[in-house]
Amino acid sequence: MAENDLPVEAGGAVLGARSALERLTGYVAVAGGLLALAVALLATASVLGRWLFSAPIDGDFEFVKMATAVAVFAYLPYTQARRGNIMVDTFTGGLSARNRARVDAFWDVAYAAFMGFCAFALVNGAMDAVRSGETTMQRQLLIWPSIAVSAVLCALITLSALLSAARLLNPPTNGQRP
Amino acid sequence: MSGTLVAVLGFGAMLLLIAARAPIGLSMLLVGAAGYAHLASGSAFFAYMKTNSYHQFANYTLSVIPLFILMGALAEKAGIAASLFKAAGRAFGGFRGGLAMAVIGACTAFGAICGSSVATTATFGRAALPELLKARYDGGLATGTIAVGGTLGILIPPSVILVVYAITTEQNIAKLFQAALIPGLLAALFYCITIAIVVRRNPALAPTQEKVEAEKVVQPHWPKVVAGLALAGVAWQVFSGQLEWDNAAALAGLALLVAVIDVAVMPAILIAVVVVGGIYGGVFTPTEGAAVGAITMLAVGVAKGGLGWRDVLDALRQTAETSGMIFIILLGAEVFGAFLALSRLPTTAADMIGNSGLSPYFVLIAMLGFYILLGAVMDELAMILLTLPVFFPVIQALDFGMSPDDVAIWFGILVLIVVGIGLTAPPIGLNVFVISALARTIPVSATYRGVLPFLVADVIRLALVVLVPGLALWMVRLLS
Repeated sequence: MAENDLPVEAGGAVLGARSALERLTGYVAVAGGLLALAVALLATASVLGRWLFSAPIDGDFEFVKMATAVAVFAYLPYTQARRGNIMVDTFTGGLSARNRARVDAFWDVAYAAFMGFCAFALVNGAMDAVRSGETTMQRQLLIWPSIAVSAVLCALITLSALLSAARLLNPPTNGQRP
Repeated sequence: MSGTLVAVLGFGAMLLLIAARAPIGLSMLLVGAAGYAHLASGSAFFAYMKTNSYHQFANYTLSVIPLFILMGALAEKAGIAASLFKAAGRAFGGFRGGLAMAVIGACTAFGAICGSSVATTATFGRAALPELLKARYDGGLATGTIAVGGTLGILIPPSVILVVYAITTEQNIAKLFQAALIPGLLAALFYCITIAIVVRRNPALAPTQEKVEAEKVVQPHWPKVVAGLALAGVAWQVFSGQLEWDNAAALAGLALLVAVIDVAVMPAILIAVVVVGGIYGGVFTPTEGAAVGAITMLAVGVAKGGLGWRDVLDALRQTAETSGMIFIILLGAEVFGAFLALSRLPTTAADMIGNSGLSPYFVLIAMLGFYILLGAVMDELAMILLTLPVFFPVIQALDFGMSPDDVAIWFGILVLIVVGIGLTAPPIGLNVFVISALARTIPVSATYRGVLPFLVADVIRLALVVLVPGLALWMVRLLS
């Protein structure tokens, strides 16, 4: 395992050239990260308010929940583009690089199909939530917009998985990693 | 076909997919979906999936995971690990093997900021490995120590694995974090003793340190003054009846910490103590604690100049990939778990083993042994998510002479210890792979040789916590 293949939490992502897919999904991931940072700030403000003035921000956890869901959906296309999903290489070690790429591309397509189904289900879930006008308990926030954004991001996971499958089958020749 | 048989076939199918290189989260999703659709119906599964993924990710308890990962990533980029290692080096420098002990000490402190073992291993692989090799430490001892030290990232709370355990088994995260503290510190102590024994038996592994006198940093007096003033203030408040004893003790402890600690690492240690202490004391929820930790870490990093805009972006991307990796497995486990619940396998298994007359300890040890074997070839997070829906009801159905809540917490700590072993044990130890990727000159086999004595210490610690549940439960009782 070379340093570039390290899991990103071990610093792999910052090294080596990034593919266009990684860059694009990287922007979405950073946007999700900034959202997470924003709710972290909100939660911190709420803790400080409660501690110093006995005045917390009511229902802050509802923002935290919504933002976390959207942020995680924003992370997933990037995780896929970085091939960060964990798999076990116990019995397939003997395959040639070419065949291994084919197997990985097959699972990428399967993942794309499942996430496409998931996105379609979420669109239906969002439409149900529009019709019922469902809101959160405390702050009465409508929940359909965050489900709808999640559906769009879920569709982006499908796209990311399809593109990474295509790259595995036709590796670029300019020295970039697939 | 009975539900139990379908569930067993489901487990088999999933292992087949995993063996065929399918990502673990995807394997669980596909088999869970097929099983759910078979036992209920396709349209029932579609209805279930309409908002299930959204609500799974919008789980308040789970939101602690990306925040703790962000806090750890910011700490790494801010260079906290390097300063912790230097400070620990000053403290342990005089002993033979002192630098290796310094790795353990610094990992212990870093573990209180970071909840991931891979991140801790990689961080110290960069911060400490070059120093150990420069001091002519044996390569295997150096990489082995860092691989094992990395497990302190999860053994010392906060811990991603414990959060996942808490959610799967519906236990209180704060109590699990409390329970993990003593076994976690015990791990650090055992690792230091292991290093002392190993270098005593073979002094060539670690040359004696030249006295680190030259590196001695003069500690300023202001922390002692501040601590003294704070102690006086606390005493006055207690005597005038304004402050409860337990709060006073906590504040006094904090003041003493300020007085004795190395100023170079004071911000990091204070953040760790405030976050973990705040969660223990119920001052804030784990999610709020993680949020406060991430924001203060960002503020400290920027203020000290170690954290630039590019570092923050890197930390965000790192958080994204790691969180994505964890959450897809969590979603897979949720779908697979829903399938298992439909099959009624967990209740059937719990009834069967509960009524079998087997000794509870026999069942427990068999499970832990199974975890050690499975952990050797499988990802630890997926392993516990897959097995807990079946194992946990079984454990709860057995009589260990404790309340079911106590058993749940104790079992969580045992699972955590076993996961730590799986992260370093051959043939597939994730931490060993991470450190090997950073240390190209040291063969993986040497790292495994370096890890072996620590594994002996791990097994002894596991046996201790099995025999003395109080090691985990005492802290919970003290703080409740």
